[in-house]
Amino acid sequence: MKKKRDSIGFLSSLFAIVVGLLVGLVILLISNPSQAAAGFITILTGPLTHGSKGVGQVFYYATPIILTGLSVGFAFKTGLFNIGAPGQFIVGAFAAVVVGIKCGFLGGIHWLVALLAAMIAGALWGAIPGLVKAYFNVNEVIACIMTNYIGMYMVNYLISTNKSLYDKIYNYSKNVAGTANIPKMGLDVIFEGSSVNGGFFIAVAAAAVIFILLEKTTFGYELKAAGFNKDASRYAGMNEKRNIILSMAIAGALSGIAGALLYLAGSGKHIEIADVLAGEGFTGISVALLGLSNPVGVLLAGIFIAYITAGGFYLQLLNFSTEIIDVIIAVIIYFSAFSLFVRVFISGLRRKREEHAAGGKGEGGKKE
Amino acid sequence: MKKRVISLLMAAAVTASLFAGCGNGDAGKDNSAEQNADAGNDSNADQNAGADQGDDAGAADAGNAVDGTEAPADNGAGSADGAELALVIDVGTIDDKSFNQGSWEGIQQYAEENGVSSKYYKSAEATTDAFVETIELAIEGGAKTIVCPGFLFEEPIFKVQGQYPDVHFVLVDGEPHDADYNYETAQNTMPILYQEDEAGFLAGYAAVKDGYTKLGFMGGMALPAVIRYGYGFLAGADYAATEMGVDGVEVTYYYTGSFDATPEAQTMAASWYQAGTEVIFACGGSVGNSVMAAAEAADNAKVIGVDVDQSSESDTVITSAMKMLSNSVYDAVKSVYDGSFKGGETAVFNASNDGVGLPMAGSKFQTFTQADYDAVFAKIVSGEIKINNDVEKEVSDLGLTKVTVKEVQ
Amino acid sequence: MEARMDYIIEMLDITKEFPGIIANDHITLQLKKGEIHALLGENGAGKSTLMSVLFGLYQPEGGCIRVRGKEVKINNPLDANALGIGMVHQHFKLVHNFTVLQNIVLGKEDTKNGLLEMKAARKKVMELSEKYHLSVEPDAVISDITVGMQQRVEILKMLYRDNDILIFDEPTAVLTPQEIDELMNIMRELVSEGKSIIFITHKLNEIKAVANRCSVLRRGRYIGTVDVAGTDREALSEMMVGHKVQLTVEKEEAKPSGVVLAVNGLVVKSKKQGHTRDIIRNVTFQVQRGEIVCIAGIDGNGQTELVEAVTGMIKADGGSISVKGEDITKKSIRYRNTHGMSHIPEDRHKHGLVLDYSLEENLVLQDYFEPQFQSRGFIRRDAVHSYAEKLIQKFDIRSGQGTATKARSMSGGNQQKAIIARELTKKHELLVAVQPTRGLDVGAIEFIHKEIIKERDAGAAVLLVSLELEEVMNLSDRILVLYEGEIVGQLDPKKTTVQELGLYMAGSRRGEAG
Repeated sequence: MKKKRDSIGFLSSLFAIVVGLLVGLVILLISNPSQAAAGFITILTGPLTHGSKGVGQVFYYATPIILTGLSVGFAFKTGLFNIGAPGQFIVGAFAAVVVGIKCGFLGGIHWLVALLAAMIAGALWGAIPGLVKAYFNVNEVIACIMTNYIGMYMVNYLISTNKSLYDKIYNYSKNVAGTANIPKMGLDVIFEGSSVNGGFFIAVAAAAVIFILLEKTTFGYELKAAGFNKDASRYAGMNEKRNIILSMAIAGALSGIAGALLYLAGSGKHIEIADVLAGEGFTGISVALLGLSNPVGVLLAGIFIAYITAGGFYLQLLNFSTEIIDVIIAVIIYFSAFSLFVRVFISGLRRKREEHAAGGKGEGGKKE
Repeated sequence: MKKRVISLLMAAAVTASLFAGCGNGDAGKDNSAEQNADAGNDSNADQNAGADQGDDAGAADAGNAVDGTEAPADNGAGSADGAELALVIDVGTIDDKSFNQGSWEGIQQYAEENGVSSKYYKSAEATTDAFVETIELAIEGGAKTIVCPGFLFEEPIFKVQGQYPDVHFVLVDGEPHDADYNYETAQNTMPILYQEDEAGFLAGYAAVKDGYTKLGFMGGMALPAVIRYGYGFLAGADYAATEMGVDGVEVTYYYTGSFDATPEAQTMAASWYQAGTEVIFACGGSVGNSVMAAAEAADNAKVIGVDVDQSSESDTVITSAMKMLSNSVYDAVKSVYDGSFKGGETAVFNASNDGVGLPMAGSKFQTFTQADYDAVFAKIVSGEIKINNDVEKEVSDLGLTKVTVKEVQ
Repeated sequence: MEARMDYIIEMLDITKEFPGIIANDHITLQLKKGEIHALLGENGAGKSTLMSVLFGLYQPEGGCIRVRGKEVKINNPLDANALGIGMVHQHFKLVHNFTVLQNIVLGKEDTKNGLLEMKAARKKVMELSEKYHLSVEPDAVISDITVGMQQRVEILKMLYRDNDILIFDEPTAVLTPQEIDELMNIMRELVSEGKSIIFITHKLNEIKAVANRCSVLRRGRYIGTVDVAGTDREALSEMMVGHKVQLTVEKEEAKPSGVVLAVNGLVVKSKKQGHTRDIIRNVTFQVQRGEIVCIAGIDGNGQTELVEAVTGMIKADGGSISVKGEDITKKSIRYRNTHGMSHIPEDRHKHGLVLDYSLEENLVLQDYFEPQFQSRGFIRRDAVHSYAEKLIQKFDIRSGQGTATKARSMSGGNQQKAIIARELTKKHELLVAVQPTRGLDVGAIEFIHKEIIKERDAGAAVLLVSLELEEVMNLSDRILVLYEGEIVGQLDPKKTTVQELGLYMAGSRRGEAG
């Protein structure tokens, strides 16, 4: 049974992707019929035709969104909607950048400390909506949206008012020390010329940890129970408040790590002083939806979305304006996120059938 | 049930985030697009511009600046996919009424006149690596000459100039350097800088000559370029006041500290107008949007734009202190093709090579004439007018004689 | 043959299949004009499917339907309506913020110049209401009226449409005993005025009380039709279940030995704004080892809150609760669960189960944290699995895929069995059971009653809350009647009658508190 349901999930995601790609194809056809076919192939194969660098870039782009996807997906599994990923992301990034700039004396473990700082900062930031929900019964969605803006403005303020962090000519944070950049862990050799680094391994490891946490531990059992049925988890004596707070803190930690991995990637990313919420946080919602909140699914979904985004980048080689490319990529991602609805629909059908079947069996059993 | 609700919320958030994503690149742009809507201006919302592209690519009429977005499709009909003349931009939009657009107009002008294929490429994210990747994509697409607008490209150009010695790079408003600010310009690279103080001078001079006595300067961040604009503006106003022998010219002077359109900036501009300020030189990216919004709400309030001709942004814009981006990019591109390309050193564009100026045709002056403009312009070119453009100095050390400066802290 | 015209509806040889299951296997149902015809069967026997076929919601694969002697094809509920067939659904289909009158008229509104014309409709509704003694307040909003009155609105809806064949789908499931009696009277009234009724139920005493004939279905098959007057309840239940069923619970005299649960002066205040009345007012009682104490009362008199205070789901605002002499008033739910209390909750979907968890995961919902099932925070899947297998065996829990079955896809009876298995297997001395047999069929009820008595005989204290008078009378050793948050009487089931109990429940008689 379990297998069957999983396969429904996978199929519905696949179906959603196919629909998204088809709609993308339609837009390609409308915008430039003569190159639509070539454009479609570019979207599908772009990164692969650009050698190891192209593939490496996919992993690079996938790294932060896998983590924000895990963040949203994990919270969702426990019945919480973490729309606060953008805020946790930037707060984590800030902590990483501060440590990255100021603690050059740490040497070899510098990046690790920066990562840890980001994780803690993200966790604390994520715990706030959790606390507010647990003790004041404020909907986490509202609290999360508030912490998004507070986080963004706070980080902007802290950087722009701090001379040691702020590069005022470029209007963004200063470069972090070289030791703070995530080690390449050999990936620069395999994917020469791309920005991919050990952060991708960290993302994969995070997915594995979340998978084990959810599926193998009593803590995961509690969190999922609360996610499926809050009342039943209360009835079973689980500590609702503690679980909400911890769940949000873990989600926040994941987003915080995402921020660190992007800004410590050594690709020249800086925290810009702009009134814009981190897009990676929102993309995490798409990733979680497409990956059906399952850690393994999120991993694959993150890579897929990064792949499509990279494909869109290469689409510029053909005659499509960048705006159209943005629309096409957004449409594909958007439709992919609908996989959940497809699944709800399919399992709804199946459930109906099962209930009939169950009725029959129940009676059959009483025959003797 | 709750779960269903959550997933609906999630989907809604995705929708919202997609739109947010569209807006990201041009945070300040949305405002300007709105303001333009009633002015019957050519700036469609970006998405529309893109969506229409396929249909009316052929109908792109010359003289319509924003139709620049449709150029790739134009070329596509006849030429190969690639283009030998490429513009590489950051994550902003091509019709940003600023560096991207100005540079693109210069490239297009040259491309159309000489039948050269041209195209622009946009970066996937705002990192040095991504800029390098985009430049490499342009090279993959056949680019021989690449123009990069904005100082964000200083490091990327530094990285690629040695790697692709056969490609010519034009860096607008910046000079290549590495992460530790070691400057080096290769022989195939031509950095372009502007003398903002001269543009500011012309604006300040014109304003006072046109009869304005209560002026304002609202800069973005106090970066050297912005300060030069400001000091030039003060000097120009002072020069005009001296020339005309008028007293009581006042300039309110302030840096907002960011290049964003903020309610604070708008409120401050509104209060200046309220207090009698007649015209504000809005010098800092989207800060201009705030000032224009305030001017539109006030009576008889005027704005001076910056960098590019911003008269299309709002009827309140009387003129703009311009960097002649398209001129200089055009010249730079031309030099590549006619063999006069001077790589390895920075080209400074100022009044003497028509690199800065006011758009007299589109300006709304009452008494300041083309002749007045030509006269003062010639004086700058000849060196008769010397502008104190040392950004290390305080306003009080500029040696202004007639103008009173009220610095807002 | 000459009798044919007597039948107003004949469903002959109806077969309806769903993928993998035959829901209706050659079923015949003949409804005489002016009779109440009961359709009896356990959950999932095919009653609802058959009625859906009659109502045009499903198309049968075989068989034919005759209405008033004429063969008809019913493609949708509108066709059914045109034939005068109306249905009161188990879950009412009313618009909650509309008035009674608006709901009745909905879909058949009169208009005058494009505007609603309610005068005639109001007149007709009031006439019907008087004729059939269906008293309703036409201008009350649905969300403000009682469930019983909502049901009357549903009935009036059918009458307003001039339906003369009325289907009642499990109409008593949501009603109080008094309301049930009232409904029975209404049904009798309706047939005396020439209407014909199909009455779907699995409650035997209701059939005995009101039906003329009864058709029995079992596992999608037609078992037979009998005259109710000439058939006793045992025979009916045997037809329904397929084997002999014990309807009265056999148990020995209780031997109470020592207090387990002691509730002292318990107070629960209302959390709703503006309510000043306490929900539980100074309630004191005890439950001893080896006895079943039943809290009886009409729904909404504080039973839910009383149990929630005992189990820790809500805070007590006054008084104390102790188990085996230990004051647990301020203890957490987890503490109570691990210190001798087992709890079969009122709502098995809301509280009792995590429906999206598998059966085995649900079976350890109360003790997944015990060393037996975890080591260093990791769940010991093997241990959980073998434990679940054991319980499934012992309590005869049936499901499609064994331990891996999602609780959601199990039948109601088996879901309840799973909860009971879990609560009775875990270490406990006090069992709090709230409506443990709600919505279950006879077979499952029998099983659960036996288990509860076994519990008592094994030395546990049992606190039972039930709305079913029959269950209260049969199962309990002592009855406490809760009325408006107070215990108004303590009764001995052997020395009292249902009528007397009813008087206490209605608040019209008070005795010394328990």
